Amino acid sequence: MMTRIVPTLDDRSWQPRARRVVLWSSLFALVVVAVALAVVWSWRDTLPDPLASHWGPGAAAPDGFTSLSGLVFPLVATVILGCAGFGAIGLFGGAAAMTRRMVAASTVWLGGFGASLLLFVTGTQRDLPDASQARLGGWTLAAVIVLPLVPAAVAALLTGPDRPAPATTPVAADAPRVPLAQDERAVWIRRADGGPGPAIGAVVVVGTTVLAAVLREWALLVVPVLLVVVFAVMFAYTVRVDATGLTVRSLLGWPGTHIPADEVERASVTEVDPIRQFGGWGWRVGRGGRIGVVLRSGPGLLVERTGGRSLVITVDDAATGAALLNTLADRSRR
Amino acid sequence: MLWRIDPASDEPLYTQLVTQAHLAAARGELTPGDRLPSARELAESLDLNVHTVLKAYQQLRDEGLIELRRGRGAVVAARAATDLSPVEQALTALVRVAREAKLSTETLTVLVKEAMNR
Repeated sequence: MMTRIVPTLDDRSWQPRARRVVLWSSLFALVVVAVALAVVWSWRDTLPDPLASHWGPGAAAPDGFTSLSGLVFPLVATVILGCAGFGAIGLFGGAAAMTRRMVAASTVWLGGFGASLLLFVTGTQRDLPDASQARLGGWTLAAVIVLPLVPAAVAALLTGPDRPAPATTPVAADAPRVPLAQDERAVWIRRADGGPGPAIGAVVVVGTTVLAAVLREWALLVVPVLLVVVFAVMFAYTVRVDATGLTVRSLLGWPGTHIPADEVERASVTEVDPIRQFGGWGWRVGRGGRIGVVLRSGPGLLVERTGGRSLVITVDDAATGAALLNTLADRSRR
Repeated sequence: MLWRIDPASDEPLYTQLVTQAHLAAARGELTPGDRLPSARELAESLDLNVHTVLKAYQQLRDEGLIELRRGRGAVVAARAATDLSPVEQALTALVRVAREAKLSTETLTVLVKEAMNR
């Protein structure tokens, strides 16, 4: 059975929660940057003018200079634009707690990144007679990327989970079922992987490694290392349908999500086009806040859930998984 | 793959699992190198005792369908892809002659079991 991907837009009860998350995370990011700005402002008499703003490959000495405002404005603008971008994802797509968590973490990380970049770049130049003596080590850059991950993780933990929202209507009558005897118990377990994700990941990891080598900034190897972790958790999942509902979990345990059987409105098979529907591969957010665990194109398991939420995962034999999930969702209504 | 357990059936729970694994391998749903779910995960999902699943896995290992390795769990063995079509052909023939002889399913099952235990 094929259904067209149509965002479920009728239920917008998640929006106040999404608004709150966007508001506090953006506020945090902007306040952190504002504090950094105030600190830099208090240093203004000890900073050289112009300031070093760019360091070339492998060179210890800076090769780009700008005034204090020329350094501050592009950075602040980047943080504000980034907050707006993540905010838009949250406001328009934050139907699921997982999405709101990612939005909060990304926004907070960006604020921390902007603030620490500002502090490190200006801090190393304090009391220098001439900005050409300024040095920016690779470790500083690595710290600027890694340190804000701590508040980002805290923000993700502080973002509330989805509240239980059992369905009040029966599972769609025309959805497929698996005939089960009265007391029969069943589980469907399948591994979801494949697609171009690992290849793209390998190219990006090799690319950033080569870049770090060319720049002779070994501390920047922290970027490919982080990317290896991201790609390792992003591109292989276990999908399980049992009496508790649908469980999707990365082979490394995170990320993952669970849809209780009593919140399933309909499970079906859908045709997935990664680029057109989700703009790429991996753990994505599509139109209407639909979560896509998109590893390849082709048939996937679509689960429509209460609260206007939905999830698609590209997994083989999705028809069996969908039919079993509908059957077990029927049972949960009794 | 789909695992199902019917507690109302006469067949012991672990043999139900064993049968399904064999059928899945015969249908090509399980191929060499595939990993079966961990015994704990399968037991929790089906509301079974973990020892029931382990017993099924041990029998599957003894029958050569899977290999049990510490740390890697239950992996479908290379020689698991046995071609069952000769068995199925013989079975079709057996069922036909059994019907001609007006044997009941129960009697035929007993005969098959005896033959297998010989």
